Order: sequence, then C-alpha cells, then structure tokens
Amino acid sequence: MHLEYTPEQQAFRAEVRAWMEAHVPKEPLVTLECREGYDQHVEWERTLASGNWGMVTWPEAYGGRGLDLIQWLIFEEEYFRAGGPNRANQNGIFLLGPTIMEFGTEEQKARFLPPMARGEVIWAQAWSEPGAGSDMAAIQSKAVRDGDHYVITGQKTWSSRAAFADWGFGIFRTDPDSKRHKGLTFILFDLNSPGITRRPIRQLHGDTGFAELFFDEVRVPVENCLAGEGEGWNVAMATAGFERGLMLRSPGRFQATAKRLVELYRAHEAEAPPAAREAVVQAWMQAQAYAWNTYAVAARIMAGGKIGAEASLNKIFWSELDRAMHRTAMQILGAHAELKRFGNGQINQWLEGYIFSLSGPIYAGSNEVQRNIIAERLLGLPRVGAG
Amino acid sequence: MDFRFTDDQLTLAETVRDYLAGTHGPEVLRRLDSEGNRDPAIWQGLVDMGLTALLVPEEHGGLGLGLVEAALIATECGRACLAEPLVDTAFVAVPWLVRRGETAELGAIAAGTRKVALPHVLNPWVADGADEFPGQLLQSVDPLRNLVMFPASGSADPHLLDLGALMSAAQLVGLAEAMLHQATEYAKVRTQFGQPVGAFQGLKHQLASCAVAVEFAKPALWRAAGALECLSSNASVHVSHAKVMATDAAIQTAETAIQVHGAMGYTYEVDLHFWMKRAWALAGAWGDRACHLKRIDQAVIGGTLPIGPEHTFA
Repeated sequence: MHLEYTPEQQAFRAEVRAWMEAHVPKEPLVTLECREGYDQHVEWERTLASGNWGMVTWPEAYGGRGLDLIQWLIFEEEYFRAGGPNRANQNGIFLLGPTIMEFGTEEQKARFLPPMARGEVIWAQAWSEPGAGSDMAAIQSKAVRDGDHYVITGQKTWSSRAAFADWGFGIFRTDPDSKRHKGLTFILFDLNSPGITRRPIRQLHGDTGFAELFFDEVRVPVENCLAGEGEGWNVAMATAGFERGLMLRSPGRFQATAKRLVELYRAHEAEAPPAAREAVVQAWMQAQAYAWNTYAVAARIMAGGKIGAEASLNKIFWSELDRAMHRTAMQILGAHAELKRFGNGQINQWLEGYIFSLSGPIYAGSNEVQRNIIAERLLGLPRVGAG
Repeated sequence: MDFRFTDDQLTLAETVRDYLAGTHGPEVLRRLDSEGNRDPAIWQGLVDMGLTALLVPEEHGGLGLGLVEAALIATECGRACLAEPLVDTAFVAVPWLVRRGETAELGAIAAGTRKVALPHVLNPWVADGADEFPGQLLQSVDPLRNLVMFPASGSADPHLLDLGALMSAAQLVGLAEAMLHQATEYAKVRTQFGQPVGAFQGLKHQLASCAVAVEFAKPALWRAAGALECLSSNASVHVSHAKVMATDAAIQTAETAIQVHGAMGYTYEVDLHFWMKRAWALAGAWGDRACHLKRIDQAVIGGTLPIGPEHTFA
C-alpha cells in the first residue's frame, strides 16, 4: 500500500489542471438533452480533442495518450475539479471504445476509434426494445444476412443520445430460430442510414435526450459486425461490464458533487433540516469511499486483474449515492428547489441533477438486476426461479 | 500510488484466517459461553502464531510490523468472533506504548505473558481489565466480553482513541462479512414454498445491499489504517470515517442476517447472535457513532480538511 503520487503523477496533474483552467467553459453548458446543449457539448468534445484529452488511456495510435489507470483517475479528478461538462460521447469512449478494443479487428479499431477520440463521431447506444428492458435477452429486432449486408428490421427504444448522435450500436437477432441469449449479433450502424426513423422521446425534464429507433429494412455492411455472428450477447455483457464498472462514472464526478453539497449546506445551514447535516457528511464519506475503492480496483487491474460481477456493487453504490446527494440538496433548498432558474437567473443545477440522478438506478441495468447479479454470482444464491 | 496489499500481507491474513477457522469455530464460542469465557490454550495459540509480537519492534523481541497488517488481522479476529483480548493488547496498547516510548513491558507482551487493558475516557468500561483495575463488573450483552467499570481515571489521548477505533472498525468489517456469509449459507439450505428461501428476491436484494455496504466500508478502513500507520495529519478523520462506515455496514448486516434466519435467528441455538452482539458492543466502543460523526463533520463541514476531487488522498 503506497498512497503517495509520484513526481511524474504530480506533474501530470499540474498539466491537466492548467489546461482545464484555460479551457473549461466558464458558464455551465445548456443540458446535453436538447439540440442547443448537445451542440455545445459536441463542440466541447472537439476542444478536448484539440488538447489530445479525448480518451487518455487509449493507445496513441487510436487517438489517446497511452496513459495508465492512475493517470486516468488523476485526469478525471482534475476534469471534475474544473467543472468539466458531461461527456457527449460517453457511450462511445467509455462503452463502445473499450468493447472495440477488446473484440474489434485491427481494421475496425483503426476505423472507429480515432474519430471517436476526436469527438467527430458521437455514438448512441441501442440496447432496449419495448419488450426487452431489464430482460435484454428478449430482444426481437432482426438482422437478416443478405450477401455482404445485414438487413435490420425492428425497433429500439430509450436509446441514449440517439436523438442527435451520428452512429449507434446494439445487438440484433441474426438467427431467426434462436431464443434468448443465443443467435444475437453486435452491430454498429450509421444513424443516418436509409430506413432508420428516429423519434425523440420527451423525458421527465421535458427535453429529448433519448429516442425510439425504427428500423425498416436498413442495410448495414457485414464488416460493421463486432466479434462475429452469434457472439452478440457475450460482447454486450462485456460492454455492460464497462458501463457498470470502472469507467462510466469516475469518482471525481461524485466528489465534486459532494463538495458542492457541503458548500450548499454551509450557505443554508440556518434553515436546513436537521437530518441534512448527517446526510452531507455521509455524501462526503461515500464519495471518498468510492474514490478509494476505484483506486484499489485500478491497481488490481494494472497488476493484471479483471473486474467481474463486482462491477454491480459499484453501479449500485454510485447511482444511489448520486440520488441521495441530490435529494439532500433539494431538501436544503426547500421552497427554492422547484425553481428551474433561481431568482437571480442561475440554472438550478441541483434540480437538473436530481432528475438525472433518478435515472442512475435504472440505466446500465436496473439496480434490481444488479442486486440479483450480486446475490447469484458473488454470494452464490440460487438463480431466480430455480427450484 | 498503489492502493493494494502486498502479497506478504495477504498471505499473513490468510494464514490467520485459516488458523482461526480451524481452531475457533462456533463450538468454541459455545464452550467459552458456558465455561468461563477465556481459555489459556486459545491465547497460547495466538502467541505461538506470533500475533502478540506483531507490532512490537524487533529490538524488543517482536516482528515490527505495522498497523495495516494489524488491521488485516483484526478483521480476521472479527470474522472469527475471537473473545481473547488480542486486539486490545497487541494492536491497540502496543502501538500506543511504543509511540509513548514506554518499552518496559513490550517483551512480556510479545511473549504472551502480559495482557494490557487501557482505560479511555470515552469508554465507560475497561474490557478484560478486572485484574489491573479492580472494580464493579459490568455485564455486556455480548456473553464473551468481560467488562469492569471505568476506573477513577483514564487516558483521554486522541491517538489511543484512534488506535482503538481503527481496530474496532477492522473487527466490525470482519464481523459483517461473517454475518453476511452465515445468512447467505442459511438462505441456500432453508427451503420454504418448495425452494431455498435464498432464491426469493426479497432476501437476495437485502443480502446484496449488505454486500454493497461492506464492500465500500473496506476502502475507508484501509485508507484509515494506511493514514494512521504513517501518522498523516488527517488520520483521525480517516479513522472516524472507517469506524462509522464499518459500524453501519455491520449493524445493517446484523439486522438483515437475523431477518434472513427468520424465527431461527431469534434463538440462542443459531450461532449468529454471538457475532451480532459483538457488533453491537464494538459499535459503541472507542467512540460511538455520534463521536466519530462529529469529528468528520468538523473536518468536512467545518473546513479543516481539503475536500473535492483533487483531494482524494488528503
């Protein structure tokens, strides 16, 4: 156990800090969930790329800096310290990118990763279908082989970023006689392909962050399939592991929220409800525990370890922490909590954050599914429905 | 920056775990419960393992290891619900004496012939302290704890409090893991409605929530052990952090474990209660929840500790 940063790590932190201080927008961007905000966030992705900060852990050949996970954590800490915006391309860089790195051919890596790191192609994910949410193996959308193409027909829904993004990825049933986890294939597709209709879905907050996708005989070249026909479930599980595991929600985000919550409490101490004080202390404790745990996991991965079902522990912890922190903020704000903008014109980011935090326990596999995974794979309890 | 244990540390913990699993099972707790709580043979076994010498400097006949190793072993003591006063003597008193330069008794402690109980003003009792501090005996809910009333005076040293609280947190993590294991194993074999009760999501999700709580108490514990070992300036806050998270995880797991055991959990016959009662006892020992929350509160809300993403290891 060595809990000091090396001089090189400290120098790297200073480099990130200086760049972020010079480049992070002074005013918060408009929410990513509407056209105006999306465009602002995509522009930010390109600014990041101009400093070569798109995805620091990737090899240089694919647009990264070839840094290790500790450097990545330092980068993320400084990113959130500076108030860096949410990443428009998080489905790409945090989920699909690592998946392509693991399963893609050299040709696919060269084709998809650099434009992803540069923020030139923004990715949407297309897992869920109307009848396949938590039960993803119930997927029905079909991809039928026709020469050098798949012909996709079906429907996806609640596709994050799909209202505005450029490309999408998802799993489709390539074997019409297959059931459940078999006969599925992981396919990447251009969201502007003929035959795709996007219908933005108005979300809780009134904006349109995700969308329904209708596929009417959409032709996708066979080379857009990742890891071979019929391998879709395994690939998707790896992607879901990245989503729940280390990358998607780095600790800096929650430490920054906890710090803002402490500051909010200090400013409203006199009128805050009594229980808020402990909730604020808990927010700091849990955000720190999450950060230390991430450092421990990163060290294990750097030593050759893997993150498996324990990713579900992470996902529950950060999603419920995020909701609790924002709930506490809403309680501290009291009658001001409902205002979309405060009297001084400032956006009520706690309200936006609270609404967003309610999706955390649902996306990336609902927390009920995560608790089943923990119970069955980590604790060894019998599977649901087993006799 | 490498937040991992060394292979040596892991091997040490595993060795102690295997030893206690083999020699200190629930049947031993039941025997102690009916025959007087302490057993020189168990103590001698711990001495023979070198555990009383763990933190004693080498020049005084010890192994000269550190608080991280001690906390790892204290976790195993919690897992085994060990009743002998190893943790108080070897992992709380020894480092405190060493830091104060009081080395006279270290050799005897290392050799296992001297046990040390230290009164602290935050504890209304001294555990295993009746020989040194004769006074009114107090009865703990934990049948394996021997308590005597706090003597007229005791230490108010915050460093002693930190050591006691850190080692309590470590034991609480071990207790929580043991209770989670017991409840899980019971849920696998107890059948109702034609299936193991552990197949029901109502139980699964409660147990999974305990697993989450325990998993994230651990990094706080190891952060605290590392900080106290090198006497970093914010070590007290980290110790309090560990104590609160370990306490909360242990109490949640205790309540869940009894619920999973159903009516059996309410009996003296099921082993769970030994672990649960130790958790209740340690939750209040060496600074209760309020005391430790207050120390964190003063640091975090009071502003004496730098907070935010760039201060992960402040």
